[in-house]
Amino acid sequence: MIEIAGLRRIYRMGDVEVKALDGITLDIAKGEFLGIMGASGSGKTTLLHMLGLLDEPTSGHIIVEGTDITRLTDYEKTMFRLYKFGYVFQDYALVPDLTVMENVSLPAMLRKDRTEEQIQKDSDTVLEKIGLFERRDHLPRELSGGQQQRVSIARAIVNKPDILFADEPCANLDSENSRVVLELFREINEEMQQTIVMVSHEDWHKDYFHRIVRLRDGTVISDGYNGKEGKAG
Amino acid sequence: MGQKELKVAFLLALRSLQRGSRSSVILTVLIIGMCFTNMIFLPSLFNGIGQSITTQIVDYEVANVLVSPKSGDRYVTDLDATLDLINGMPGVERATPHYSKGATLKYRQRVLGVSVRAITPGDEKYVSPLYSKMIAGSYLGEADTGEVIIGKSVAGDATVREEDEFEPSLGGVRVGDSISIEYGNGFTREYRVKGIYFTGWSPVDNTVYTTWADMEEVEGKPLDQADYITVKAKPGYTEKFIKDELQQYGVSEKVQTTADLLSKSMGQALQTFAIINMVSLFVSIIITTVVLFIVITIKTLNSRKQIGILKAIGVDKEVIMHNYGFQVIILAILGIILGILITLALSVYMSYNPVVTPAWSATLYITPLDLLLNSVILFIAAIVAGYVPAYQVSREDIQTAMRS
Ligand SMILES: Nc1ncnc2c1ncn2[C@@H]1O[C@H](COP(=O)(O)OP(=O)(O)OP(=O)(O)O)[C@@H](O)[C@H]1O
Ligand SMILES: [Mg+2]
Repeated sequence: MIEIAGLRRIYRMGDVEVKALDGITLDIAKGEFLGIMGASGSGKTTLLHMLGLLDEPTSGHIIVEGTDITRLTDYEKTMFRLYKFGYVFQDYALVPDLTVMENVSLPAMLRKDRTEEQIQKDSDTVLEKIGLFERRDHLPRELSGGQQQRVSIARAIVNKPDILFADEPCANLDSENSRVVLELFREINEEMQQTIVMVSHEDWHKDYFHRIVRLRDGTVISDGYNGKEGKAG
Repeated sequence: MGQKELKVAFLLALRSLQRGSRSSVILTVLIIGMCFTNMIFLPSLFNGIGQSITTQIVDYEVANVLVSPKSGDRYVTDLDATLDLINGMPGVERATPHYSKGATLKYRQRVLGVSVRAITPGDEKYVSPLYSKMIAGSYLGEADTGEVIIGKSVAGDATVREEDEFEPSLGGVRVGDSISIEYGNGFTREYRVKGIYFTGWSPVDNTVYTTWADMEEVEGKPLDQADYITVKAKPGYTEKFIKDELQQYGVSEKVQTTADLLSKSMGQALQTFAIINMVSLFVSIIITTVVLFIVITIKTLNSRKQIGILKAIGVDKEVIMHNYGFQVIILAILGIILGILITLALSVYMSYNPVVTPAWSATLYITPLDLLLNSVILFIAAIVAGYVPAYQVSREDIQTAMRS
């Protein structure tokens, strides 16, 4: 469902060029739970941001279900993100002044194809799913880090996105909470056939991924299905 | 920008104000409220003073229309015929003559130079509320002779020593006392003080009124001339109407409305007022603009990352911008409401405790139009101040915002 071809991202800082991504070619299939791994600075976040339309490549193409998303206008990109993508970030990134319920409903409220009742129903359902329905009227600051991250997952999936992007969602969590969050991702992936692209550098996370892409210095050094990682190239 | 987007922007704005820093909201509203009060207070006070002076001038000096000698003449001549002519015109309540003469008053050891005004007391009642301002004794009768009424400032107060007096007086004249008046032409006579009045209008409170008959005695001849004639309009007739009518019907003297006179005599003062008003208006607008600009800029800077996230999850930049826009609108509305309340409270307070000076007493003169106009001006300033940083932050690149 996603085809990436010759993706490059070069940061220019004065005379120095940083090749954050140096020619990535990759296909991602529907329903896949893909892990992007690699050392710090290897370009994981940069790749995820390219895929998630949060940044523009220096060259190369990203085609999502036949649409070259690098060519969209600003507004089209915003709508693409709203209607097709879901995001979970490392630091939860909830709106501090909105309740759990309001945070979760927020992206749904902006969609033209959702009625008030549907938003309510969908939000209730995802909150039940993450086990925080009882806490729906609390503010984010009244929840633990793990709970906040679950709320941010609920916000990401409430619109039933085509692809869910997660950038180190467990980086701020202890292993107990990390496990809860990863289990949640697995559940979503299995029950709803949700395509997930997750960045992680914790080796033990790979147990949860179907497929693992390893980056080093902006290039793919290995790509393979879990247990039988093959060499890229 | 659809309804859903506006709804979300409004929700974000409302929640931010409700659940964000309470003290920041209160402080901002307070500042806008004070700025509004500042904008409207001085102009309203000046307006109040202007209104008070205008009322006094209408009541005690010129009524609605003033007929004065044509240029080159000292007096309005052929008085009886002119009065009859004017009094016969539609819309004229009454026309009365005034004739003043410089004189020296003597009472016990005190000597005081004043201008004595001759009036026709009965007619004057239709034109001026002087008759209702007696604080002792009674008003002049039409046929009185040998009697005068004097202003409170002229009468003075027996308990105040001469050297302590604010303005010179006769040092405590009471009703029934007799004072000596020596006119400029040498005519001197004792008059009985029939009444003492207090109007609050200093020029009148420093004068003495006598009857037309007494003044004829002073001049030693029937008085068929006057310094000027004051004309009072009937309710529903404009000053302009009366003026035009007078000129059409052949009153050959100089005819001026109160407004004509005021625009001449008060033009200078009004100009000064206008400048002060402008300055206070600008200061208020600048303070409001700067405060709101800073408040919103700080808010946006503090939530740059969050704004980046919102944009990342598909919230359109217009929603982000209007979120802050709505916050400003709500703050501005609350501030303006507070300002209106403060202003009205001040206005009520001042109507019970007016600023009193010897020349005038002023309360705040505020019209709904003033309130509306100032609200609109402040509101527009607030919106401009809020939308500038809101616009800027909403255009910011997602990457820069998210990685900050
Ligand atoms: N805005 C930027 N300007 C310049 N260089 C950048 C910028 N953003 C990222 N880089 C560089 O691009 C490279 C890849 O960065 P990226 O954030 O993708 O790494 P990462 O794999 O996500 O690392 P981490 O595990 O630490 O999050 C790094 O060398 C980084 O310094
Ligand atoms: Mg990263």
